[in-house]
Amino acid sequence: MIIVILCNAFAAAAGLALFALAIWVAVDGYKLYPISGVSGKDDIFAGAWIAIFTGFAYFCTCIFGIYAARKQRRSLMLAYLIIMFIIFIFECASCITAATNRDYVSRLLLLLSCLQVECCGTDSPLDWVEYNSTFRQLYGTTYPWPLNCCKRLSSFEVADSQGCIIGQTSTMFTQGCFTHIESVLSRYTWAVSWYGFSVQMFVFFMLLIAMVYFTQLG
Amino acid sequence: MEVYLVLCFICMLPIPAKSITTVDCKPAINESLAAKITINTVILQQPRCCFDNLTNLPCTSNTCEIWLVPAVDTGLSTFDANKASSAILSLSPYPTAFTGSSPANYFLTKVGLQSDFPCVSPSPGGYFRVGADGACSTTNCNGFLPQGSSPSFKYLLVDSVNKTVLAETKWSDSIALYTLKDPGTLGDGFAGRSGAMVIITTLLSVAAAVLLLFLIVVLALCCCGGKSKGSGSVVGSVMGSFRIPRYDTHHLKDPAPYDNPAYEKERKYTTQDTLPKTKATSAVNPVTQDTIKLQKI
Repeated sequence: MIIVILCNAFAAAAGLALFALAIWVAVDGYKLYPISGVSGKDDIFAGAWIAIFTGFAYFCTCIFGIYAARKQRRSLMLAYLIIMFIIFIFECASCITAATNRDYVSRLLLLLSCLQVECCGTDSPLDWVEYNSTFRQLYGTTYPWPLNCCKRLSSFEVADSQGCIIGQTSTMFTQGCFTHIESVLSRYTWAVSWYGFSVQMFVFFMLLIAMVYFTQLG
Repeated sequence: MEVYLVLCFICMLPIPAKSITTVDCKPAINESLAAKITINTVILQQPRCCFDNLTNLPCTSNTCEIWLVPAVDTGLSTFDANKASSAILSLSPYPTAFTGSSPANYFLTKVGLQSDFPCVSPSPGGYFRVGADGACSTTNCNGFLPQGSSPSFKYLLVDSVNKTVLAETKWSDSIALYTLKDPGTLGDGFAGRSGAMVIITTLLSVAAAVLLLFLIVVLALCCCGGKSKGSGSVVGSVMGSFRIPRYDTHHLKDPAPYDNPAYEKERKYTTQDTLPKTKATSAVNPVTQDTIKLQKI
C-alpha cells in the first residue's frame, strides 16, 4: 500500500508539471502559431492543449488514488484504475500528435519570411537571390531581399539599408528561418511529446502495481 | 629614286602605336558581402594599387579614369581586338551590347578617378557593384549583366582627355551568375518519419494495449470469476476439534456427504471456513466450542 501511495504522490507531481509545461507551449512565447497555422500543421498546439487537460486530470486522479489506497476499498480502487486508464489513452494521443507534427514543417512556406522572427529566407538570405518569388518580380531590381531581413533599430527603422542591400553580414540576419523555426518547434516537441512520454511510462508501471494491489484487496 | 626609296622606307616603317600596359592585377569579387553574386549583379573589390606603379602617363591621378569592362563569352576576344581603338568607349553601347544577331558581348562603364582609389584605403569595406544602374539606356551606364551568364571583368586606366586606354588589368575568372529557380523545388521538407516518433508511437501503443489487457484480466478474475485467487486464507478463530471426516447434513435438500476438509488436511482443528455454511453450524459459539447447540431451522 505504501508503494502505491508513494507512486501516486509522485505521479500527481509529474502530472502537475505536465500541466504547467503544456500551458507554456500553448502560450507560444516564440510566436510560432501564425506560421504553423498558415502551413496547416499546428498539431503541436493540439497536443499541448490535450496535455493541459490530461496533466491536471492525472494530478486529481492520483490524489484520489491515494485516498482509495488508504481506504482499501475495492470499488474505489477499481474506479481509480478505470479513470487512470482513460487519461492514459488521451495522453498517448497527445504525445503521438506532438511527435508526428514535427515531421511536417514545410520549407516552402518559410520563404514567406516572417515579420516577428529575426531570420531571412528558408536556409539563408541567398534563397531570396536564387529563387523566383512575387517579391523578386516587384522589387528585384533594387533589393535582393526584403527589408525584413535587415537589422532594425528600436524605432523599427532599418539600421543600415545600404549595407543591407549589398549584404554586409553585420547589418542583416543571416540565419535561415527554417533553422530558427525548426529549433523552436523542437523545443516545443521535446516538452509535450518526450516529457509526456516519460510520464506515461511511469504511470504505466504505477498502474501495474496498482492492479496487483487491487487484486490483493477484499 | 633614292629619295623615293627612302620615302618608301619611311612609309613602310611601322609607326609605333602606343601599346597598352597590362598590370598584374585581377579583379575579384568581394567575398565578405552576402549579395556578392545575384542573377544580374556582381559586387567586385575596388581597383586599389593596380595602376599606381605606372610611369610616363599622359594624365595624372586626378585626371586618369578607371573604367570597367564586363564581357561574356566572345566579348573577351572582341574587346581585346578593339581595345587600342580611340573610340573604344562608345564602340559597344550598353543597350545593344548583349542583344541582336551578333552582339559585341561587352560594355564599358566608368568606375571613378584614379585618385578615388588610393593604395591604402582610408576606410575599409570598399566595393563596386556592377549592375547598380539596373536596366539603363545610356552608352556607358552600369547596367544589369545578362541573367545566368558567366561574365569576366577587367579594369582599365583611361586617359580622360583623348579617351584611349592606357593600361589594363588581366581578365578576371569568369563568375557564374545565378539563374532563378522555381520555389517549388525548395522541397516540401517532408523528411519522412523520424525515429523518435516511431519509438514513441509504438511504445505507447504497446503500453496502452498491455494495460487494457491486464485491466480486463484483473476485472475478470476479481469480479466475475468468483474464484478467490489470491484472497489470502484468513485464518479464523479456532473453534474446536470436529474430528468427523465425513458426515451427512440431513437438512439439506440434496444430501451429499460433506467431506470435512479440516480432517483431510490433518488439521486437528476446524475453522470457520471449513464448516458447512448452514445456519446450524454457524451458531457455534467459539467460547463454548465443545458443545454444539443445535437450533431449529
